Amino acid sequence: MSEVTVSVGSRPIREVNREIQAALGAGHKVNVVDTRSRHNLGIGLPDGAKISFEGSVGYYCGGLNNGAEIDIERNAGWSVGEAMAKGKITVGGYSGMAVGASMRGGLIHVKGDAGPRCGVAMKGGDVIVEGKIGYLSGFMAHAGRIIALGGADGACGDSLWGGEVWVGGPIESLGVDSKVVEPTPEEIAEVEALLASVGINDTSHDWQKIVSAQQLWHFESRDASSWLMI
Amino acid sequence: MCGIAGRILNSTGSVGRDLVDLMEAQRHRGADSTGFAIYGPPVEEGFIVRAMGLNRDALSNDLEDFLAILRDNGSDFLADPTTDDAKTTHVSVRMLIKEPGSLEAWSKQADTMCDRIEIQSVGKSLEIIKDLGGAAEVADKHGLRDFVGTHGLGHARLATESEVSPTASHPFWARPFADVAIVHNGQITDYYTWRDRLERKGYQFMTYNDSELIAVWISDRMSQGMTQGEALKRSITDIDGVFTYLISDMTSMGFAKDRFAIKPLVAAEVGGEMAVATEEQAVRMLYANEVDINNYDGPSLTKTWDIGEVRKAA
Repeated sequence: MSEVTVSVGSRPIREVNREIQAALGAGHKVNVVDTRSRHNLGIGLPDGAKISFEGSVGYYCGGLNNGAEIDIERNAGWSVGEAMAKGKITVGGYSGMAVGASMRGGLIHVKGDAGPRCGVAMKGGDVIVEGKIGYLSGFMAHAGRIIALGGADGACGDSLWGGEVWVGGPIESLGVDSKVVEPTPEEIAEVEALLASVGINDTSHDWQKIVSAQQLWHFESRDASSWLMI
Repeated sequence: MCGIAGRILNSTGSVGRDLVDLMEAQRHRGADSTGFAIYGPPVEEGFIVRAMGLNRDALSNDLEDFLAILRDNGSDFLADPTTDDAKTTHVSVRMLIKEPGSLEAWSKQADTMCDRIEIQSVGKSLEIIKDLGGAAEVADKHGLRDFVGTHGLGHARLATESEVSPTASHPFWARPFADVAIVHNGQITDYYTWRDRLERKGYQFMTYNDSELIAVWISDRMSQGMTQGEALKRSITDIDGVFTYLISDMTSMGFAKDRFAIKPLVAAEVGGEMAVATEEQAVRMLYANEVDINNYDGPSLTKTWDIGEVRKAA
């Protein structure tokens, strides 16, 4: 697979994305340079594609991913991998607000910290964050798994509908309608196997697994005040 | 939406050009109006007044009335006022005035004719220039790229809850405090509650833009002796809504972000200089190479930066 370099600079993003799609469609691996934290880079990439971004990217990088392997060297802005269906995204540094928002499948691996609302409304797939996940992470997630090795900021798992948030460090506070449950050895083994697949072999974590307390599944307006977060 | 930005240089330099670049990169966040608060070399005597005449054809007559109020307050023009030479009905006016006996008493009296000339900023250094259109359009009309100074703010407006007009856009001056300006991205949800409360205390609002509330609220807190940093912290629990705003005066610049943390802000500090903006890609207009970025993504955040020359002298 030969490699093609695509430079972003100040070019129109639509033009850059067409060039990326054409190179991937022709079977090349793509390396994107001079990214300048621009938004919407590499949207709707095809299954089996391989692409790397040098430096940092802006909002929505790798959104609607259909199975590509996407490697971001440094930081990502808001909503990396939004609504992705399949594939793998690796962020070398910090990843901003709403990592993997509404994602349905695939894996996002963040090597640094993640911003607030990590995995918001996710419907499937996995998010691994080696650092800490921000405020309101897992907010209204329906399915899928968020795994944070470095702890969680406030309101963790707020209004969790389904899915799981695994935290291997301190949790500042739990959000409404979420609870910590004891994971089974089989579940721990599965999480550790997933971590090992991205090169994380530390098995010393003291996991807290957060799931929905399911009270909001049957919302009653007379109880509204107990759900206020502020 | 809306986009905001701030820039601090180590010494007097082309802050106007930098702010235009920062705002041009955020024009997609709102281009119905764009505004700038630029801190140029301070005047030794008196104040710089930036104002908007609402009727270009009546300006000379309106300026006479404006001057009469100045003289009532022991002030005067120190030079002939200058204006932009565009064809628009509204006209941007720059004046140099002798320091009035009381800035508060004078500005209050001058605001009685705000339907003809509206004061947009008063300061030793601060000049607020705002107008309809995107960053490039406003910059071309007012020569903003040529402004030199130490620091400044920028704002791109997408009006969501009040009218689009040159005076209803940002930045807002925290009247009557010389050299204090704010820009805001967000919505203030208890706007009318606060507006009523502040009007009962004697404050006058020039617009129905909810962001103006932050400027008036800041003035009220400053008149109670709060510092910029204290006011920033207090605003998070006092004011309801989703907001990220920047405030600046001659010696510092700061921001506050609400409890829900939904309006972005990032900053890069490089070699004692600082660029802050809603979007990282705007900051990267000034730093095309990779730089360390601070993402202020969390809830209930505040921070204050010193202005470059102050930091250098310290």
